[in-house]
Amino acid sequence: MNLYEYEGKKLFSRYGIAVPRSVLWRKGRAPRRAWMAGPVVLKAQVLLGERKKAGGIILATGAADAARRSHAMFGKNIVGEIVKNILVEERISQADEWYVSFSCDTARRAPVLALSPSGGTGILRARVFVIDPSSGVEDFFFRDAIRSAGFQREDIFQLLGVVKKLWSIFWNESALLAEINPLFRLSSGELVAGDAKIIFDDEKVRPAARRFISLGGDIAILASGGGASLLSIDALVRAGGRPANYTEYSGNPPASVVRTLTKKVLSQKGLRGCWVVGGTANFTDIYETLSGFVAGLREVRPRPRYPIVIRRDGPRQREAFRMLERVREDEGYQLYFSGSETSLSESARAMVEHSYRNTGVRRARK
Amino acid sequence: MSILVDQKTRVLIQGITGHEGARACREMLLYGTRVLAGVTPGKGGRKIEGVSVYDSIREAMLRHPGINTSLIAVPAPAVRDAAAEAIANDIPLVNILTEHVTVRDSAWILAAARSRGVRIVGPSSVGIISPGKAKVGSIGSSAVEKKIFSPGPVGIISKSGGMTSEIGILLTRAGIGQSTAVGIGGDQIIGSDFADLLMLFERDRATKAVVLFGEVGGSYEEEAARLVLQRKFTKPVVAIIAGYFTKDLPPATILGHAGAIVSRGRGGYYSKVSALKKAGVHVVNTLEDVPQILKAILRL
Repeated sequence: MNLYEYEGKKLFSRYGIAVPRSVLWRKGRAPRRAWMAGPVVLKAQVLLGERKKAGGIILATGAADAARRSHAMFGKNIVGEIVKNILVEERISQADEWYVSFSCDTARRAPVLALSPSGGTGILRARVFVIDPSSGVEDFFFRDAIRSAGFQREDIFQLLGVVKKLWSIFWNESALLAEINPLFRLSSGELVAGDAKIIFDDEKVRPAARRFISLGGDIAILASGGGASLLSIDALVRAGGRPANYTEYSGNPPASVVRTLTKKVLSQKGLRGCWVVGGTANFTDIYETLSGFVAGLREVRPRPRYPIVIRRDGPRQREAFRMLERVREDEGYQLYFSGSETSLSESARAMVEHSYRNTGVRRARK
Repeated sequence: MSILVDQKTRVLIQGITGHEGARACREMLLYGTRVLAGVTPGKGGRKIEGVSVYDSIREAMLRHPGINTSLIAVPAPAVRDAAAEAIANDIPLVNILTEHVTVRDSAWILAAARSRGVRIVGPSSVGIISPGKAKVGSIGSSAVEKKIFSPGPVGIISKSGGMTSEIGILLTRAGIGQSTAVGIGGDQIIGSDFADLLMLFERDRATKAVVLFGEVGGSYEEEAARLVLQRKFTKPVVAIIAGYFTKDLPPATILGHAGAIVSRGRGGYYSKVSALKKAGVHVVNTLEDVPQILKAILRL
């Protein structure tokens, strides 16, 4: 989960990292602050980076100028996100710009500190220091890092303070990234965070969340298993199919969970088919999960008339398929089902063939 | 031969009284694996499937000094402490089954394990099986076991538990057995990656070829390619990389496993496939191609 800059800066304040004076401007109500009479920066609150290039950071000379310029910024699409909030900040000038971050480096399989006395260049030109968190991190480690990254000796203790606080945020809050870029060094020697980029670990924030991502196509997907779900959609795309969504239910979910997910997936517009797909389950009760699917299917309006192709195997699969046969005969759904004797790719081709039959859509290349 | 797990494996299960722990215990015993003890603090003294439960690893080790492997099946927030206990007791192999462990806890565990020379497999690992010898974890359920894994010359390393079984089934049906199959988990930070295990397979004389199942995100596949390119791994490798369709999705989107993060450049689908191909790895698009290629390579 990514934080907006203003949320990240609130977190910084809580941990004692200095930030410029600022106020959040929600569309409609112009904020009033005495310091807004001077030079300010308007910063679009969007999650993805590179907002400066996209016009998401604008300088203004005072309150009136800020009001004028904010009109152009509100509602603007910046890096794929519509601007709803603007952070108005006191402008800081004549300061050095540094870079500090903590992140998790997957190649080194450890947290790393990245430091650079020339900000704006990001992590690419920073010096990187690998951290061993199991034995606790001592101040001398950070001091050594600060010196070897090329900072002046008179800045050691100011910077050490910021680095330690940022490490506390990174570690205590289970963050994947805690970045200050730029970190302003004022002529007084004081350090002020010019930006805040914080990403929290989803496993901490919402471990049980089921991922649902719209892919814009017309074949609804209900996949089981992390690896199987990716490989299945690959097979569908290679067979010429257009997936409507990505979603996945792992483990051994109760029927009610699959029912809810089914309703969500099948309520997408313009569907031509539905693919329920997975590998050979070790423990997932296939009868339980497919019962959940059927329960969800029955509640979808308008009633799906498009083909539904199911490829599942594992515990209680035979019972599940007998149940599907009855549903097909009694309720007239267009159901096709098979076990692991049909490969993922064969099932994908069958899905594409049934979905795009008589529609004039060109069929899959092999 | 095999890697990590064999007839000499003596298992301790941390979290044996929980649902996952008890099920894994039952499955491992059915497979003939020697499960010597279990640990659940506060629940010592009882038995699960005939296996004695202790309050701490120290107590379990006093009664069963032969323990050389721990399976961790405790809830995610308790994993770091459980791993710390296993590491402090110098158990050389720790397999973490639990999913949803935070990156922070994994990083802490790996650092602690490294300093004591303990090998971690997982988190989110489906387990390790050396067919016909022993297994650790929930890999190869006894209900469908016969048609999944069989002894033979091919090693399997997979980020996906389900795909480990799927590859096992396809190989077994084609008459190609396996030396050891390892589920390494699909988290961002894992204890043993492709490269670590390839090094073990390199030394294992029974292994003649290795199958890798990777997916987008991170750089473990690229690291494996580098190992092969540098001729530190010299046996044939067949790899399948999932996530071809993610090439047009916005970067940083997470799909399925916590480590399956859509990336441009390094970590992306093409980065992995081209690195592996450049190293001479046979990259296939579908699982059905795996046994075909192996047959040709192994001249079966």
